Amino acid sequence: MIVGGCDIGSATGKAVIMNNGTIVSYTIIPSTTKPELTARMAMDAAIEKAGLSSLGNLGYIVGTGYGRLKVPFANENISEITCHARGAQWLCPTVRTVIDIGGQDCKVTSISDSGKVLEFVMNDRCAAGTGRFFEAMARVLSCGLEGLSTLSLQGKNPAVISSQCSVFAESEVITLVNEGVDLADIVAGLHNSVAGRLNSMVGKVGLVEDVAITGGCAKNEGLVKALEAKLRVKVKRLPEDPQIVGALGAALIAREKLDKKS
Amino acid sequence: MQTSIKSRALKEFAEATATLANPAVEEWKRQGGKVVGYFCSYFPEEIATAAGFLPFRMRATGSKGTELADAYLSSINCSFTRHCFNMGLLGEYGFIDGAVCLSTCDHVRRVYDNWKWKVNTPFVHMMSLPKKVEEPQVGWYRDEMVNLKQALEKHFSVKITDDRLWEAIRLHNETRRLQRQLYELRKRQNPPITGAEALSVMVAGTAMPKQQYNLLLRELLDEISQREGNADYKARLMILGGILDDPGYIEVIEEQGGLVVTDMLCFGTKIMWKDVPEGTGDPLAALAQYYIAERPSCPRMFGDYPRRADFVRDMVREFKVDGIIGERLIFCDLWALEHYLQAKESKAGGVPYLILDREYLLAGIGQLRTRVQAFLETIRR
Repeated sequence: MIVGGCDIGSATGKAVIMNNGTIVSYTIIPSTTKPELTARMAMDAAIEKAGLSSLGNLGYIVGTGYGRLKVPFANENISEITCHARGAQWLCPTVRTVIDIGGQDCKVTSISDSGKVLEFVMNDRCAAGTGRFFEAMARVLSCGLEGLSTLSLQGKNPAVISSQCSVFAESEVITLVNEGVDLADIVAGLHNSVAGRLNSMVGKVGLVEDVAITGGCAKNEGLVKALEAKLRVKVKRLPEDPQIVGALGAALIAREKLDKKS
Repeated sequence: MQTSIKSRALKEFAEATATLANPAVEEWKRQGGKVVGYFCSYFPEEIATAAGFLPFRMRATGSKGTELADAYLSSINCSFTRHCFNMGLLGEYGFIDGAVCLSTCDHVRRVYDNWKWKVNTPFVHMMSLPKKVEEPQVGWYRDEMVNLKQALEKHFSVKITDDRLWEAIRLHNETRRLQRQLYELRKRQNPPITGAEALSVMVAGTAMPKQQYNLLLRELLDEISQREGNADYKARLMILGGILDDPGYIEVIEEQGGLVVTDMLCFGTKIMWKDVPEGTGDPLAALAQYYIAERPSCPRMFGDYPRRADFVRDMVREFKVDGIIGERLIFCDLWALEHYLQAKESKAGGVPYLILDREYLLAGIGQLRTRVQAFLETIRR
């Protein structure tokens, strides 16, 4: 039984193909300005990687993510909140709190023992604590996204960044740069400020272990470490690329839907 | 979710909701009628009606921005008050002859302060609204109504008699009775009207002459009570909140598959769930009792939370509600606390509760959609 999940985010499009409960292939591509096109490109690449010939090989496809209404070949769409919860818990059954840090949204979701979404919070039209924030900071500091993660782990004496707003944080960072503060300390400070914001979102739903981080920003080890320090718990490292968890959850739901149909 | 109601009545209600000075208001003005705008559902509409005026609930429908108002109001004033005052500064409220504010909250009080000086409304009045719902406050509110009545009489050279007040009470009770009939239909397994449509019926009730409105509403009720109704929904929802006057907001919710069947809104059950007892004594005493002590209260009313929680519980049972959505204008502290309390209680009783912060103008639809869809997925999965 071959199924697919397609997660069209603000920064990247992801597709996952599963066959009888195992991941056959996945792709992550940068989003275009046309969600339909992003979806098709991501899914076509995943189909090719899986050695399949066409969309027709897939029995059911679920779309998710910000562009979920624009996945032309999806049989239905499910919110990314439900999909990330499902994907994270499939990868790691002990997970009860999922922190999804994507390109323009961050969400914290608590899940029950049976995998049901209990509660969620989501940032409100603000880039603080999202991929966009890190992109902006990497630009200001000319260090690249990879560099941000590496630098933040080197910071010995993290600077204090009081603002969680991307725009105001940027001016604070520029002030610090001009005061000659060590770059690694500034970056570590930035990660602390984002982790602080996420920590307060976790506080709203209530922290229950285990905690997993999903979404593209989960690849930033500096952020994961900063978050662990704020939350005072160890974060579970997922056995798959954290960026595909939404698409994976969509594929898992696709499988269920197909089971129900037959 | 869309019903295919083609009735003339619903179309007129939708038009009245989508504009400020709708055709009924324009006609009223052409006939030489006066319009009194008011800023809070605690304004005793019956007094304006008894004076022969058209009571009109202030909105900022069609507003495009707040840049003029922002020079006077601060960025931590809610967007409803800023848009509304902006409309005043733009001259969009040239059709009202009077504006009455109540001390509902600090935000709307600032509108009064500025409206008085900056907008050309001939009659501007402030009513002091008590904070509690007991006997002394009923008396206090009656005194406030006397002040309002005298101010109207003096400014407009009219006489508001007890007979006219009782007549107005009967007319407004009729409106409330018809509106409750509409809600009665929404209790059905397949409600014949969507939440977005019902909201436009309710908003129109605050923007049209009551006699004309009652006729139209009766026509609508006749038409839809025979209808089959909506069967295609994933969950029955109740909405809790304040001045939500945009059916478009509810449309976004209903497009996700949740059917809104009831509410506790300023344009909803709060203004019509109870009647003013009809009689022959002191009409102002009857009105004061109704507005302060009988109707479902606003969260600004102190110490009345248990009664509001009971009201919500009754609604959930009567309308078979699967989940509650609590909407709040950003910076509204009153609703922030109310939602915190109601959500806690509701969840403990097994009814999921989603809190949505919003701006007065519908914005950020993508995120709203995600939240509502995820909420519905938690209800029906």
